[in-house]
Amino acid sequence: MIRQERNERIRAYIFLSIGLIITLYPFVLMVMSSFMTPSQLINNPSMIIPMPFTLSGYIGLFKNLDVLLLFKNTIIIAGSVTLLNLFFDSLAAFALAKLKFPGKNALFGFMLFTLMIPGVLFFIPTYTMLYNWGWVNHYRALIIPSFVQFYSIFLMKQFMEQIPDDVIEAARIDGASDPLIYSRIILPMSVPVLATIAILTFMGAWNDFFGPLLYLRSPSLWTVQLGLQMFSSTIPSQYIQVLWAGEVVITLPILIVFLFLQKYFIQAFANVSFK
Amino acid sequence: MRTMRKFLKTLNKSKWGYIFVAPWIVGFAVFSVYPLWLGIKMTFMNYNLVAPQSMKFTGFQNWINGLMDITFWKSLLNILYNQAIFIVLTFFIALLVAYLLFKISSGNKFWNAFFRSAYFVPTITSVVVVMLVLGNISAPYGPLQTILVKWHILSQPIVWNLTPILIMPVIAIITSWMSFGMQAIILLGGLGTIPPEYTEAARIDGAKERTIFWRITFPLLRPQIIFIMVMNAIGGLQMFTQVYVNFGTAGGPDQAGMTPVLYIYDQGLTKFQMGYASTLGFILSGIIIIATVITLRVLQER
Repeated sequence: MIRQERNERIRAYIFLSIGLIITLYPFVLMVMSSFMTPSQLINNPSMIIPMPFTLSGYIGLFKNLDVLLLFKNTIIIAGSVTLLNLFFDSLAAFALAKLKFPGKNALFGFMLFTLMIPGVLFFIPTYTMLYNWGWVNHYRALIIPSFVQFYSIFLMKQFMEQIPDDVIEAARIDGASDPLIYSRIILPMSVPVLATIAILTFMGAWNDFFGPLLYLRSPSLWTVQLGLQMFSSTIPSQYIQVLWAGEVVITLPILIVFLFLQKYFIQAFANVSFK
Repeated sequence: MRTMRKFLKTLNKSKWGYIFVAPWIVGFAVFSVYPLWLGIKMTFMNYNLVAPQSMKFTGFQNWINGLMDITFWKSLLNILYNQAIFIVLTFFIALLVAYLLFKISSGNKFWNAFFRSAYFVPTITSVVVVMLVLGNISAPYGPLQTILVKWHILSQPIVWNLTPILIMPVIAIITSWMSFGMQAIILLGGLGTIPPEYTEAARIDGAKERTIFWRITFPLLRPQIIFIMVMNAIGGLQMFTQVYVNFGTAGGPDQAGMTPVLYIYDQGLTKFQMGYASTLGFILSGIIIIATVITLRVLQER
């Protein structure tokens, strides 16, 4: 019985390793190609080792594209969205998980219902509204409308429900008000779920293309994704290694965060279901 | 008087609850309810964003035009063609990977975490980068086709993004590569919740591994499967970036790469026909909601 289990496990390892080649090949190719010369990329597309090894891709990238500006813009937008969401989502989640107020269940039911509304319904009217407000070509068009998000509230609420009520009651008997309970008890105990939400929100904003495409007109405001997409259509094929370098540079930050905090990423998806 | 006092007392006791959920309610009112109202009004108007003075009430004209717009329905067929391939392909790959990851979860901790994370990496990559990298890999003289030609599987390289019939399948495969890791993690979470006694009992009775999986394990994954399929119905039909990166707003040769959201973007953001674009948004949303309800009905049935 145990031996059979071990054999099955070894078979699973073998299949998983084969699958891994397909999964990771594009990343390996991306990194390797960014160090290749154009002639090698054109003449020998299935080669994987850069020979000769060259940094011309990265030099060309930083010369032709203001990568640091793109990074700065993206960090401003993604950072603001993340901080606003951490604060407002956790407040709402605390109220829904631990406070009593008339209409709470009805409100939560309604919030769940809004998850089913397709975003495309709001796309044109919201753009029209923000255009008329003069928000187009300003960061606030990307930051303010997404300052609070129900999906994050939902994940936080699920986590906070597991915090024992006794802790909160004890604090209340000692005279602590709800805001104090939120900041002194709930927030410190919710760090894991806050980390998950921070990572997901930041990554979502970092990888977003549609929002910046809609609202950011001036190249000086562009984010990494929009900047790279616009840049990619201007690169002549004899400098294609520059594009590969750009892909590596804008993927790397998220990849590094992922490598260090992978369990928080995976946690966000490990317990979802629809009952 | 007494009821009034009682009411004020409850209100005072629950004031923080209301204050804490107020930001969501305000956000929803300003950035969802109000735009929705604006959108409904716009569907009955000819509204050019850059020439608002020419705004005119047109009754149901936008709705009639939208329901008879051949390009819009073609874009819808395109995305259904894409999703038919994407949903089936991604789900079965994800199921296989989840099953394999579950098999190794009782083994070495390091390799367990390693494989889980490695399969998740495509999910954290942006659509723009994925389209550029996989677009390059699948290009006529890219590494994939070079090998297929060398092995005589292909007689000559194919320019898929100029071949209408191939555009949506290739984009479906690329999107599938991006998404299967996340679906696998969701399904793996489901596998972890199934009590081992269920499968052990069947194993002792001499049931085959395959029978156990399809008869016992698979039906118990229903909550995760419903979640994935509802996500597909809502998200998949709204595809934009994949086709925009490849074809711009034109939608590619023969408009084979046109999706509904790309078409709405084109009507609104390049032609500034906000009333018409908003109407198409409502029609598409209606279709998505119907698709979601059908998905739920089919999957929740016993």
